[in-house]
Amino acid sequence: MATRIERLPYGIGRWSAGWTILLGVLLAIITVGVYAYYQQLALGEVVTGLRDIGTMGGAPWGLYVSFVVYFVGVSFAGITVAAMIRLFRLKHLRPVARMAEVLTVIALILGAFSIIADVGQPLRAVVNLFRYARPGSPFFGTFTLVMSGYLFGSLVYLYLDGRRDAALLSKQPGRLQSFYRLWAAGYRGTPSERERHSRASFWLAIAILPLLVAAHSTLGFVFGLQVGRPGWFGGLQAPGFVALAGVSGVGLLIIIAAIVRRVLGAQDQLGRNIFRWLGSFLLVLTLAYLYFMIVDLLTSTYAAHHHEVRITTALLKGEYAWLYWGVVAALLTSVSILTVQYIPAPAGVRLPAAWPRFVRVAGVALLADGMLTASQAIPAIKQSGFAFSPQVVAVLIVLFIALLAVFWVGLLPLIRGKPIMTAVIAGVLVNLAAIGKRYLIVVPSQTYGTLLPYSTGSYSPTWVEYSIVLGLVAFGILLFVLFMKVFPIMEVEDSMPL
Amino acid sequence: MAQYGMVIDLDRCTGCRACMVACKVENNTPQANFWMYVFRFEEGEFPNTRVSFMPRPCMHCDNAPCVKVCPVGARFKREDGLTATDWDRCIGCRYCEVACPYGVNYFNWKDPEANYYLNWDDPGVSEITGGGLPYANPALELAYGSENRRTAGGGHLKGVVEKCTFCVHRVEKGLQPACVEACPTNAMHFGDLDDPDSEISQMLRKRASFRLLEDAGTQPRVHYVGGQPPTTETRQIEEVKVRA
Amino acid sequence: MAINRRGFLKGSAGVAGGALAASFLLGELETLAPASSEAAALSEKWIPTTCWIGKQDCGLMARTVNGRVVSFEGHPDHPRNLGKLCPKGAGQITALYDPNRVKAPLIRTNEKGVPGTWRQVSWDEALELAAVKINEVRERDPRLLVWQKGRSKAKALYDKAFVKASGATKMGHGAYCSDAGYRALEYTIGQHGVLHPDFRHTRYLLSWGWNVTNAGGNKLCWLTWPQQLVQAKERGMKMVSIDPRLRSAAHFADEWLPIRPGTDLAMALGLCNLLIERGTVDRSYLRRFTNAPFLVQEDGRFLRAEPEGEDEQGKALVWDEALGRTVPYDTEAISPALEGTFTVRGVKVKPAFEVFKEHVAEYTPAFVSQVTGVPQQQVAQVARELGENAMIGSTMEIDGMQLPYRPVAIMAYHMAQQELGFQALRAMLMISMLLGAVGAVGGQRCDFTWKAHKNWAKLDEIKIKEPPYNLYLKDSKFYPINSALPGIAAKVMMTPEKYGVDYVPEVLILHHTNPLGSFPDREAFIQAYKRFKFVVAIDPWLSLTADLFADVVLPAATIEKYEGPLSATDQYVDATALRIPPMNPLFESKGDIDIYLDLCEKAGILYGEGGYLDHANKALKLEDPYALPLDRRPTVREIYERWAQASGIEDGVAFFEKSGVKVKGPVSARKYYGYATDPPFAGAYPHRLYGESLLGYQQQMQAMGVDKLYWQDYTPLPVWRPMTLERSPQEYDLYLMSHKLIEFKQSRTPLPLTVELAPRQFMEINPKTAKARRIDDGDEVWVESHNALSGDTRRVKVTASYRESIRPDTVSMPHHFGEYVKHPWIKGQGPSPNSLFFTGEGYVSNTADQTYLVKVQVTKA
Repeated sequence: MATRIERLPYGIGRWSAGWTILLGVLLAIITVGVYAYYQQLALGEVVTGLRDIGTMGGAPWGLYVSFVVYFVGVSFAGITVAAMIRLFRLKHLRPVARMAEVLTVIALILGAFSIIADVGQPLRAVVNLFRYARPGSPFFGTFTLVMSGYLFGSLVYLYLDGRRDAALLSKQPGRLQSFYRLWAAGYRGTPSERERHSRASFWLAIAILPLLVAAHSTLGFVFGLQVGRPGWFGGLQAPGFVALAGVSGVGLLIIIAAIVRRVLGAQDQLGRNIFRWLGSFLLVLTLAYLYFMIVDLLTSTYAAHHHEVRITTALLKGEYAWLYWGVVAALLTSVSILTVQYIPAPAGVRLPAAWPRFVRVAGVALLADGMLTASQAIPAIKQSGFAFSPQVVAVLIVLFIALLAVFWVGLLPLIRGKPIMTAVIAGVLVNLAAIGKRYLIVVPSQTYGTLLPYSTGSYSPTWVEYSIVLGLVAFGILLFVLFMKVFPIMEVEDSMPL
Repeated sequence: MAQYGMVIDLDRCTGCRACMVACKVENNTPQANFWMYVFRFEEGEFPNTRVSFMPRPCMHCDNAPCVKVCPVGARFKREDGLTATDWDRCIGCRYCEVACPYGVNYFNWKDPEANYYLNWDDPGVSEITGGGLPYANPALELAYGSENRRTAGGGHLKGVVEKCTFCVHRVEKGLQPACVEACPTNAMHFGDLDDPDSEISQMLRKRASFRLLEDAGTQPRVHYVGGQPPTTETRQIEEVKVRA
Repeated sequence: MAINRRGFLKGSAGVAGGALAASFLLGELETLAPASSEAAALSEKWIPTTCWIGKQDCGLMARTVNGRVVSFEGHPDHPRNLGKLCPKGAGQITALYDPNRVKAPLIRTNEKGVPGTWRQVSWDEALELAAVKINEVRERDPRLLVWQKGRSKAKALYDKAFVKASGATKMGHGAYCSDAGYRALEYTIGQHGVLHPDFRHTRYLLSWGWNVTNAGGNKLCWLTWPQQLVQAKERGMKMVSIDPRLRSAAHFADEWLPIRPGTDLAMALGLCNLLIERGTVDRSYLRRFTNAPFLVQEDGRFLRAEPEGEDEQGKALVWDEALGRTVPYDTEAISPALEGTFTVRGVKVKPAFEVFKEHVAEYTPAFVSQVTGVPQQQVAQVARELGENAMIGSTMEIDGMQLPYRPVAIMAYHMAQQELGFQALRAMLMISMLLGAVGAVGGQRCDFTWKAHKNWAKLDEIKIKEPPYNLYLKDSKFYPINSALPGIAAKVMMTPEKYGVDYVPEVLILHHTNPLGSFPDREAFIQAYKRFKFVVAIDPWLSLTADLFADVVLPAATIEKYEGPLSATDQYVDATALRIPPMNPLFESKGDIDIYLDLCEKAGILYGEGGYLDHANKALKLEDPYALPLDRRPTVREIYERWAQASGIEDGVAFFEKSGVKVKGPVSARKYYGYATDPPFAGAYPHRLYGESLLGYQQQMQAMGVDKLYWQDYTPLPVWRPMTLERSPQEYDLYLMSHKLIEFKQSRTPLPLTVELAPRQFMEINPKTAKARRIDDGDEVWVESHNALSGDTRRVKVTASYRESIRPDTVSMPHHFGEYVKHPWIKGQGPSPNSLFFTGEGYVSNTADQTYLVKVQVTKA
């Protein structure tokens, strides 16, 4: 046995101090989450900030449901990318395919866990959701399509896609050898096998794409079909959910890819072109979602029913304004920085070089103007209480544009030609935005969406809810890390002999 | 098969909230759970003001959003029109609650024992009562309907959703719901909507009536005569706002 | 599990795509066929009893499961509630088992005036201690013993038997409730009550400060009146609400006159003026049944004939228009003049009506509007509608009698508690008198049946005495017409010499009463009650008063006891009820009657002539063979057994244990309508439109040199004057009034189920008023009241609550918050308005009744 590989690829099975620390931190966070959940089981959900709609003036759905939706949304990325690679022959993306698939699987598991965290009778839920499943309930879709079908599909895909590597690795003696054998399941890599394989995964991909749209739509239906909740009822929910799912998913995939690239020093496998492509994909999806948001905003403000208006007001200038505008800012910012890479190199070079003074001056001027009007508008803001008067809104817009311009132009030299960095920043921003938006979809329609004259409700999550959610996130990272340690996170190059 | 429904005469309602208390005693609901709620309203500006009242039981809708969304069929329609909650099956996802436009659902956020107004395990009291809620109504634990499901609220189990049952345990005995029974001015009437001779059918024939949020298409089985539905100008006064 | 086609199976088997499509897209709901369930066999029993909470003793059915009461429902046959209950009635289930009840007799172990620390003792020890103290003072001077009651549900065995046997001075709460009204009606028409309509026939009702939706109404605590009101409204009766708050009458009011607090007298006289102007006056009633035709001399006294026989003054004379000369008022077949001026024996005289007419002429719509703040045209409209609806001259046949039909009336009760209460109620009654509605069909009523009250004569011939006076200044030069106000008693206890009282009582028995919680003003009571050397409290709860001052607390049962007899009439049906214990008294508590039997036995005043049992016989009218033997202690049930037998109920108590209430049938019109009794108005006429004797009292009081403050309102005709409280400096620019909440009204118990509905004290304030003070809805505010005479101020913090339906110059706070200190649901409820009101001069009106009105300033906290 001369040709014997010394070490498994991608640091499988090797622990450094860093990994151990990370593991420790994750376990600590998970422990806190578990303790919080124990509290919730023992004392009831009175330990959360959730309460009933109506005389209790609360919101029965809060952080948990927001994260159910977020996690399921994130799962979008993996399978989509993977499927697209397969269908559109996007060879150069293959390195991210597997981490995408793993991301999907983990996200779906977290989604399921968040549902369990939310329900009052978790044990009953596990049994009854399947024993008494009712197609009539929009939840049915979430459970059958998303949690079962979708998860199953992704697992199969991950399995097929991994067989070859498993076969490779099963050649190496070691603790995991039998595990690889099991996965490889007698795969040899003969041409016929390869052929069968690619056909199978092709059809699977074909099947998965519609399932994917349907799955994310049903999640939209969970809200969109509720005539009793102003702000929820509407046809846009489903497509909106699909779009935002894509945004968050691709965004997260970018982040993960970047991290993997760093820790595994996989610069050559995970090239800039990959990030450029993902960035563009993210840009398209984000623009699409912004479009949905604008349409949604228009319908809910222009001659809308007063119940809708009540909620929109709370979003635009009321209790939730900070979050709403934060989300908008995050999305716009990521759009603006993602566009950078489309500035033709010469222009890209000339622009900051040639017009810096002009643009900076212009920006500063705009800023000054904004400040000025602001200073005039301060009294207006004061006496108009919390509500924003038109001129105040105008001021804010001016300020915002000014800031954006300065920021953009100022940043241009820094981020130009840095597709990875831009993509990652955008990825982080859109994910924060996604979480915020999920919260904004779920909560205000309950606290401000009562059709009978109950007084306005209130909801603020408690430490229990935060701990459980953080625990879940940590758990997800843990799963990912463990996977990285037992299986190649990227396809092993063909160079490796079988 | 009788089709149960309720007619509430707002001209008669004094807003005394006796129905709320009678309901709480009959159904042993824990603190802060009001299966029946009575709004007290004020409209207009001095001296052109109007004060009115509006009881709010569960509407037992024919096209009930809560039933539609329940993932496990714990919330279901009985053939006699009652919208029932099987507290033995409910998983506590609270989907019914967000789906309901009327805010009639109550989730049991705590153990009822920790939520029954006074310390009934006080030695002096439990000596006499044997501990637990002294006015516990055994009928709530039983199963009802031919489907034989536990729909009367039972022990108000932690982690399940509950709401007005139209006092299914009384109705099946041929009695009136507790709120109707108690109403000092007979503002509430319960009966068979399908029977043209029933008191409620006659009231609905004789007098103009409305149902709450009719445009939501929920087809409530609770009808109101006298008074008007609340508008955007309607302010709630003497509101009961208690968080569990 | 029988399931129909569209059944549930489909739902649960619905994983099948078809079903999915069907039920998801069409959104059909699975339905299940119900069937009567086989309820498990429980030993369920229904025990009839009587509500213990309020004043009107509604009939209850106690549902017991395995010997434990699980709920109270209304007694279907009880005339007063017809099977219905108010929130307290239903909610009292918790009171029965409340772990915070006083479970065993308590003896104080710390000094008084501070929250008590207690030692649980045996009944024997507690009673022994109480009996010794009681006897000790009784021997020295019976006046030193005071018995103070809240609500007493067996007057015969408490107010009569015990008070007489012990010789205690009795104090009630009436003067805080409506006594000014009672006295006004007793004095004017000899009826014991305030004002209510004949709901079956009334067509036009003035709801004068009647809190329809929460409280009161004449004589009954709530439920009966709203029941009769909604029927009357459905019959087409129109109701006008005269009240600073619309919340009281809510949507039942067809018209709202937002009157300035305490100006009702001016409003009433204004209406009288307009009625006379419009000629809508029932002259035949005034001529035959009132002293309106009596000739009044310029000194305000009646012109009288020479005295005959031994009566010290002759009959009042009237001017017979037919004969053109004066004749005694009761001469047959005369037509006495109501108007004009005549000269008789050289003196100028006018009929009382003429005097009245000239008097009310000053109360023009403009003046009334300026005083009351109600627009002129509203006042005029009400006057017109009153006149039209009175249908003067019409009659209706009832039980074969043609009776005057005057379907207009007033409902008024607690609003009598204002400085001018006595005269205001007289003025309001005069509206009904002018319209001839008093005692007519559909007209003005005051009591359940028409009978002459002893005060009809008494109040007309009070002998004002020189000092020394008793604790509450009976027959004194300060308050000749007197209502035994504990507030005055408190003032007297602090400075007896000032009032010519030569003793300070030493022993107090508190019977279900909590003066510190229920009565204004708290400060005065705290100061006064410090002077009691020994206090016994009989109460199921540790009240604020008991907590600070009781030496001994005797735990009384709540509903679980025999008590009565209790009237059950709704004014149309006559009935009697008895309270039947649905369970044995909980903990170590005892029924009140048992407690008094014990106490009297210990004190040696139970047996023999003049003992408790002897007085019980008298009070319950028990004669042989039913009389209680005076040498043997009876059980409470035995006492009622004898009473029941004596009153012709053969099955005795067993009847009530089976049926709860004895319905005697409809009240006969002959007992019911003033015109139908024989003699008319039960002989209590001519009605005193003109109060000659009031003038007499005023002159005596002046002669005895008392301050104007005391005598100014003893005028033969009601006279409006600005209230004393108007003398407060103008920074106290708002009127604070108080109102009742249905959640607590009348309740003598902390009821968590209703406290949950109204957990904390609040103050209603008009948004305009509030915003001017930068006060938002729900803000904490300081409310400071000012005593217009003493200059004292009181201050509390409370939550402001916006109401458009209250006058901008008025704020209002509900009662009954924070009265039972030791109860977890009562702690932190916020202040009672009683800590802002004042008692005594300036706030206690001419008949010694409490005023629930004070000037305050409200500032953001």
